[in-house]
Amino acid sequence: MLNRRTFGALLASAALAPGLALAQSMPAPFDNPGEVEIALVRYLSTGDFFQAYLSGVERQAEALGVNLRVLDSRQDAALQADMVDQAIALGVDGIIIQHGLTESMKEAAQRALDAGIPVVAFDVNVENENIPQIEQSDRDLARLALEQAIADNGEEWTAGYVYVPGIAPLDRRHETWTEFKERYPGINEVAQFGTLDNPIANSVANQARSVISANPNITVMFAPYDEFAKGVKIAVDEAGMSGQVSIYSADISTADIAAMREPGSAWKATAATNPAVVGEVSVRALAMLLAGEDPGDQVIVPPTLITQQQLNDENITNMEELSARVPAFAHADVAAPDWMPLPSAPSQN
Amino acid sequence: MTARDLAIRYGFLVLMAGLIVVFGVTASGFLTVPSAVFILQSVAITGILALGVTCTLVVGGFDLSIGAVATSALMLSAYVMVVWEMGAVAAVALCLLMGAGVGLINGFLIVKMKVPDLLATLGMMFVLLGIQRIPTEGNSIATGMALPDGTTATGTFSPAFLALGRLRLGDVLPLSVVFLLLIAVLVWSFLELTRHGRLMYAIGSNAQAAALAGANVERYKVAAYVISGVLASVGGILLAARLGRGDVASGNNLLLDSVAAALIGFAVLGASKPNAFGTAIGALFVGILLQGLTMLNAPYYTQDFVKGAVLVVALVFTFALTGRRTRSA
Amino acid sequence: MDGSAIRVRGLSKAFGPNRVLRGIDFDLPAGAVTVLMGANGAGKSTLVKVLCGVHPTDRGEVTLGGRPFAPGSPAQALRAGVVTVHQNIDDGVVPDLDVASNLLLDQIADGSVGVASGRKLRDRARAVAEAVGLRVDLRRPMAELPLADRQLVAIARAMAHKPRLLILDEPTSSLSAAEAERLFALIDRLRAQGVALLYISHRMSDIRRIADRIVSMRDGVVSGVFEAQPLDTGGAVRAMLGRDLSEAAITIPAPGPVVLSMQGTVLRPGARPFDLIARAGEVVAVTGLVGAGKSALAAALFGLAAPVAGAMRLDGAPYAPASPIAAIARGVYMVPRDRRANTLIADFDIARNLSLPFLRRHARGPFLRRRSEAALGARMVAEMGVVCRSPRDGILTLSGGNQQKVAVGRWMAEASRLLVLDEPFQGVDIQARRDIGAKIRATARDRATLVLVAELDEAMEIADRILVMSEHTVAGEHRNENLDLSSVMRQVTDAHGAAA
Repeated sequence: MLNRRTFGALLASAALAPGLALAQSMPAPFDNPGEVEIALVRYLSTGDFFQAYLSGVERQAEALGVNLRVLDSRQDAALQADMVDQAIALGVDGIIIQHGLTESMKEAAQRALDAGIPVVAFDVNVENENIPQIEQSDRDLARLALEQAIADNGEEWTAGYVYVPGIAPLDRRHETWTEFKERYPGINEVAQFGTLDNPIANSVANQARSVISANPNITVMFAPYDEFAKGVKIAVDEAGMSGQVSIYSADISTADIAAMREPGSAWKATAATNPAVVGEVSVRALAMLLAGEDPGDQVIVPPTLITQQQLNDENITNMEELSARVPAFAHADVAAPDWMPLPSAPSQN
Repeated sequence: MTARDLAIRYGFLVLMAGLIVVFGVTASGFLTVPSAVFILQSVAITGILALGVTCTLVVGGFDLSIGAVATSALMLSAYVMVVWEMGAVAAVALCLLMGAGVGLINGFLIVKMKVPDLLATLGMMFVLLGIQRIPTEGNSIATGMALPDGTTATGTFSPAFLALGRLRLGDVLPLSVVFLLLIAVLVWSFLELTRHGRLMYAIGSNAQAAALAGANVERYKVAAYVISGVLASVGGILLAARLGRGDVASGNNLLLDSVAAALIGFAVLGASKPNAFGTAIGALFVGILLQGLTMLNAPYYTQDFVKGAVLVVALVFTFALTGRRTRSA
Repeated sequence: MDGSAIRVRGLSKAFGPNRVLRGIDFDLPAGAVTVLMGANGAGKSTLVKVLCGVHPTDRGEVTLGGRPFAPGSPAQALRAGVVTVHQNIDDGVVPDLDVASNLLLDQIADGSVGVASGRKLRDRARAVAEAVGLRVDLRRPMAELPLADRQLVAIARAMAHKPRLLILDEPTSSLSAAEAERLFALIDRLRAQGVALLYISHRMSDIRRIADRIVSMRDGVVSGVFEAQPLDTGGAVRAMLGRDLSEAAITIPAPGPVVLSMQGTVLRPGARPFDLIARAGEVVAVTGLVGAGKSALAAALFGLAAPVAGAMRLDGAPYAPASPIAAIARGVYMVPRDRRANTLIADFDIARNLSLPFLRRHARGPFLRRRSEAALGARMVAEMGVVCRSPRDGILTLSGGNQQKVAVGRWMAEASRLLVLDEPFQGVDIQARRDIGAKIRATARDRATLVLVAELDEAMEIADRILVMSEHTVAGEHRNENLDLSSVMRQVTDAHGAAA
């Protein structure tokens, strides 16, 4: 109901808010976005990927004109659950849960729903059909990279594989690897290794050195995580085997681009989802829920294949140039109804 | 008496020799020169950190901040070269200064402010973990990265700097291994052959008695933390040269591995105390184990398990066996 | 019954060849305070340990209230009614627990009191506390209580066992005068209740305040019992020292030039200023009770704590060391008391312990010269008569006496201007004590030597001159020949009476 007071508030925000023209055409509650507050409750936050994800969330929230509150539990599962409760107590309008453990987040997410607060989850399964899952498709990531490996090397090669079980995205990528080995019996996996001791690249490099000295016949290294790939590349360089070994991986960053583009680099291709885009999609899916629309149970952000060739041809040196010159990487057309304002300059940051 | 004494003195070295034989038989390519060089290279960084922490253990202290100092040096060197676009000499000098500065602050907190060593260096560890991320807002540092002010970093790692981690003497011996050997010999000589090392051992055993014998206890304690900080920053420089980028990392594994190496060192030659030779052997022991296990395709968690088991056995060697010896004498 | 709570007859105890108690006879009557006096090594502490069940006897019998008493353990002694409060009171209390739990510790330990908290526990604890007139907040942690209250808690806890004999081992050694008075008031009450008290102390003021009788011990036998009022404390001291006044075997050398002079020195605020002179070639013993200021004197001389006022000169030049390093640089060395805490490096062998203060002399540049250090080890082992296999032996493999020879030898390896030895005979057997004493005198010619000892007989054994300290000032000075023991003892115990 529109009484004089809300009308006045509307006028005031109309005078101040730069996104007014857009706001007027948006459904409630985004007709008055300054009153909307959403919370991002994080489990993981250090590292390039999570920084980029946060920047995407911030960008989309800004485009919508809503307030964003970031709660960071720094890998403390119990604290993350407390932070959901804290967000409920603060009376936010929607919550994005970014990573976490099923056991600790399941009930916390349900409490938020009980309080009437919509929730979306990124890369954590909270076992709740009312909570849409935002996912980068890890299976597609692994598939794109492996298809490129087949295209480059044929169907018969000796492989080394970097894997640490128990990490959900790596487990999903591992399933695809298993499928590929069944489909192409010519792939001969002679070594599997991996560690998450940090600095990860340094620890993996030590292991990879041992592996390639024990198995000098390896021609393909499948390292479906960029920190793994970096480690393998260091080891291959140190062993002087860059000419013989090809590395295929997943994920990308500015430093990865530099490593892939080094002269004679063994790192041939990677498949990646732009983490900033995943961040944008997370906010958009939540916005759809707030507006009473259904983004679907699963919101999948499709990955892009990036090859060494492509980087060299386009002379791409960093993530911004990658976004600018590979449009598929810069934008994903998911969770984007007509009324949804999109970030104006996604490559700005 | 002799059997137990022999076991205490040479048990660990025999164990290491046995390990080399076992891996030599089971893992093809283990007993080769490149393999030996790999092992040395893989333990170079933790070995150098471990030698630093050994110095603090000698004066009866402990330095929990070495892992964070190493990763801070990693970030600092990358920042100096990539963002400030300065050269290798500046990067190395600033990192060493940073390490020495952290050591001085640790020493000041412990000696003057009377903060217990574990707590002071734990606090310093957290400070460093935070401070190294502030300039880049938590991002890793690489050429082409976007800076907080919106511009793009254009500096590159200087080739001379990268050579510290990548150059090989005679195409065989990596420079980082040369640094490890050099530092091991220097630290060993300092602790075992000089009067300064002798006084540091005296301080670690009985600081009160050392002070009453005219030792400048405070100065030596601070010196130990400065040595530890500088060596940790050397480790961080080598890490940066190997990775070729400023990686955001906590360095906790570096800390744990180096402390393990130093503690395993207690058992070498029945020393029952921190010593540089033992620390080097301890680091090598862990390196040999990991190299062999990886060549045999053992998964990473078995490696942690084995590392832990070796440490426990070493501690039993140190405390139970040698302890019984002094009691029965 | 003759009113004796405890009757001891022919009690003997030996450790190996060392006969510590050689036929002790004495009684401890109920309702009286018996003070036990004895020099270091007289057998006091062994006697106490036999009575409270730590050591079994070799021969002789003890009866408690007419019945044979031969406790097999401290717990048995406790149940029989013999309670001991040790010198180090923190042995008897748990500093982290509150007062109530400490008062009921024995009951909690044996399970007769259940969960250690709550009102019920405090009610029982209050009853225990009131029995000895102790009034403190039962909920306060023990560590927060002043020393005297902690001691009273330990005694209150002991009193809950309804003791027939209470043994107090130097209970006032760390108490202030006001705190000690509270303890004495409690002792008066216990005496009135008919408890037998055995009180071990050297403090004459304590002894005058509370003693009903004095038993003196020397060399493992009772050398005198004094019951006639007024008590003959001088006789008791003589019986304890057992020394004829003519016995001093010291040849006093001709005095050399003044090495150390202290003028108007004030060791702590409010203490009377004193002057002190030490000459080359003479050995000066400084004696006095624990807390009389001997350690403060040593601290001032060795640069550990500057005196409040006064001027020091060494060889005529002003001397005000800011640290041990500065003191050593001027040739002032100190052998500290308590060798395990203050002198020995447990991880080092004999040679390394010896060379520690003078490493520069055994080094070329920063590098140590092993041969020079080994030569030092061999030389000092021979000179000090250290019994060992080689100078490479670990220091802790040595006996206490030999450890002390190393501790003293460390500072005799280099020539000094002034050598201060703080309790050099502590925890040392009689042979080592004689060896060390002889060595100190034999090397004394070119330096001034100051030996700080609490035991007067040790001072008489070693010194040319004896200074008596009391209340942080020098109360008297005696040439060590034809010594008037009673005058010395008066100065030891009464600072104000001896304004000599």
